[in-house]
Amino acid sequence: MDEFGMGSKNEFSIYGATRNPCEQTPEVGGSKERHQPHRHSPGGSSGGSAAAVASGMCRIALGSDTGGSVRLPAAWCGVVGFKPTYGRVSRHGLVAYGSSLDAIGVMARSVGDVRAAFHAMSVPDPRDMTCMSSKLRRRIESFTGSREWTKHVDWENGATKASKPLDGVRIGIPKEFWVDELSLSALESWKSGAQRLADLGCEIVQVSLPHIPSSLPAYYTLAFAESSSNLARYDGIRYGTRSNQLPAKSNGSNASYKYANTRSEGLGSEVQRRILLGTYVMTASASEQYHVLAQKIRRLIQKDFDSVFALPNVLALDGADPPGPAVADRPKGVDALLFPTATDTAPLLGTLAQNPVTGYVNDIMTVPANLAGIPAVSVPVDIDSTGMPVGLQLAAQFGDDDLLLSIAAHLQSQFV
Amino acid sequence: AKWDDPPNTNVALADAGIPGSLPRLNPECVGIAARAILGLNGKVQKQSSFDRKHYFYSDQPLGFQITQQRSPIGRGGKVSLGHNEGLDYTKDIRIHQLQLEQDTAKSVHDVYPGYVLTDLNRAGVALLEIVSEPDIETPEEAALYVRKMQTLLRHIRVSHCNMEEGSMRCDVNVSVYRNSDHRLSGTRCELKNLNSLKVIRGAVSAEIRRQIETIESGNPVEQETRGFDARQGKTFVIRSKEDAPDYRYMPEPDIPEIHLTDEWIEAARLALPELPEVALARIQEQYGLSKETVETILAEPGCVDLFEDTARGRNAKTVASWITSEVFGQLSYRAQRLQDSTLTSGQLSGLIDALETKSVTSAQAKKLLIAYMNGETQS
Repeated sequence: MDEFGMGSKNEFSIYGATRNPCEQTPEVGGSKERHQPHRHSPGGSSGGSAAAVASGMCRIALGSDTGGSVRLPAAWCGVVGFKPTYGRVSRHGLVAYGSSLDAIGVMARSVGDVRAAFHAMSVPDPRDMTCMSSKLRRRIESFTGSREWTKHVDWENGATKASKPLDGVRIGIPKEFWVDELSLSALESWKSGAQRLADLGCEIVQVSLPHIPSSLPAYYTLAFAESSSNLARYDGIRYGTRSNQLPAKSNGSNASYKYANTRSEGLGSEVQRRILLGTYVMTASASEQYHVLAQKIRRLIQKDFDSVFALPNVLALDGADPPGPAVADRPKGVDALLFPTATDTAPLLGTLAQNPVTGYVNDIMTVPANLAGIPAVSVPVDIDSTGMPVGLQLAAQFGDDDLLLSIAAHLQSQFV
Repeated sequence: AKWDDPPNTNVALADAGIPGSLPRLNPECVGIAARAILGLNGKVQKQSSFDRKHYFYSDQPLGFQITQQRSPIGRGGKVSLGHNEGLDYTKDIRIHQLQLEQDTAKSVHDVYPGYVLTDLNRAGVALLEIVSEPDIETPEEAALYVRKMQTLLRHIRVSHCNMEEGSMRCDVNVSVYRNSDHRLSGTRCELKNLNSLKVIRGAVSAEIRRQIETIESGNPVEQETRGFDARQGKTFVIRSKEDAPDYRYMPEPDIPEIHLTDEWIEAARLALPELPEVALARIQEQYGLSKETVETILAEPGCVDLFEDTARGRNAKTVASWITSEVFGQLSYRAQRLQDSTLTSGQLSGLIDALETKSVTSAQAKKLLIAYMNGETQS
């Protein structure tokens, strides 16, 4: 895992990088070469979990997904990676990185296993005030359960009684995810995924989420700000490592000097980078321009999603009633969105550019779901020409986790 | 858990900032805050929320404090000062806002030289901060305002308001102005760690003197945080403006907004005990007692109930006299609060009846009282 969950390639760990088990290791002279400098990244930050599942070390693994840290490694290692709706799974016990973005996610080789683990964990917890109460869960149920046009979508896709098990389900293709950085393999699997869903009975439409292009800077501003706050506690006083060096200044009123050595020695360079940037965007002079603006963009992105989904966002409804069964025609809007998980397959480790910020671009497909708190899942669909896995991503409205996983299961079955 | 428990024996995971721990809002504190706001004639806000206020200090284990400073639960209200407080004029000290926030840990500086010791017992405990408008104009008004606040908040069971124990703390902001200038044109200095009414009076007086001297010698007053040295009668610098941190406020992501309904607020209002000033007038009128006597009764939480229950059908002056001299005398001897005493109105009633019918002598009655207050229940 990248230190404190901060990284997309599993390079930032004091224990060394994790390797991607999907790569073909050439044998040289009868034995596998050791200490090869060029190996593929498993993705990050939960790359270890993805590698463990992909290599068969375990059946299910947990990860934390703040900006894609479960879905991205899942895609690069060829397994299923699911980020539930924010608040479904308690964050008590999760080392906090971006409190309003963090979600505990599940990885497995099949959607079925992911679903089973998710249901076991998706329960109320009074120790986490942001974890959905029973009341809210029931309220969401009353909305998703009263939807006529998805009632037939079931979980068991095996011996499909229906030839078109997803008949009536509408899938949106958000055009703003068609970015320049998309590789050929990502584009092809996107098209092929849409085709397979259509074969299953889905209606495929194009949708627009106009503020998506601003999601990456908004995400990093907010994530770094929250992380600078959540990591302020690591001062070596009550737990953890403590520097042996005495503080440079012993000015009693300025406690920062007491902690500086411990934090400089004990936190990795990427972590320090994020803390400093996060601190900066919250300073009095910069806050309005960066932090406040990022929060506004976040709200716009949430509204973009609300405008394309057929299911209303229960958080925006304030006590209104769920749509009754009397609604004959299904409303406008889609039931799920389909887009790539990553712009390309797993890169080589050690190709970190001179400017570490360029690595952040990997997250462009995954951060919007964290900003809006909506559920999203990466499904392994393909292998590219170099033999590395490609993942396709599905996202649904806030709280619509079960429908999302059903659609994901059907999609995965098309590519097995 | 008590305020003087041994250090670091009452620590929750979240108070120590253990990774993975999360803060929780105690709903009882919301109820207490609402009581205080209503008792002070303020307006309970239907929506309020929390922010993080960031700074590094040895008494701040998480590196931030959770506070409602920017979106408080209460706004407005007032404390009236006048003849009851010994002034020959009347004045309202308005309240700006009331907010819930976390307490810090306690830093101990003088036990091991060169080391700061941290006691996390009170870290994370809820505080209610009451911010006044700049209506206070003399050191005396400051002390009277605090004292009246104490009486009221004790009466409506918001807090013990005990400055020695730390259940009430005061910071005072002081500025001065020339008569020809605007009232609020002076630079404010904050006086912290004032732990008694006497200290408040002394510190405010000393600071006023200092600021006037500074200005009259041609220098500007610098914005500083200062403490009070009671022995020297002077204030001293704790922190200057350059050292003042940028708090980098951020909405608290782990605690949702508080939403209160009109019904809930109304229920809280109805549950408020009779406010002291109302009770003062009523009891004087109803029982024909002197103002001093009623004030003495009102000053001790729980005493009004004891008095009124006992006085029903009996001579009010006798009852009042027994309470204010004998009962209070016993409480004082035991260093006890009436609320913690075993004495019941039934016992006191029986005792006074027995005296009236002369079935016991005065001396025997006093012995009986002592027995009741020792916890014995035999009549």
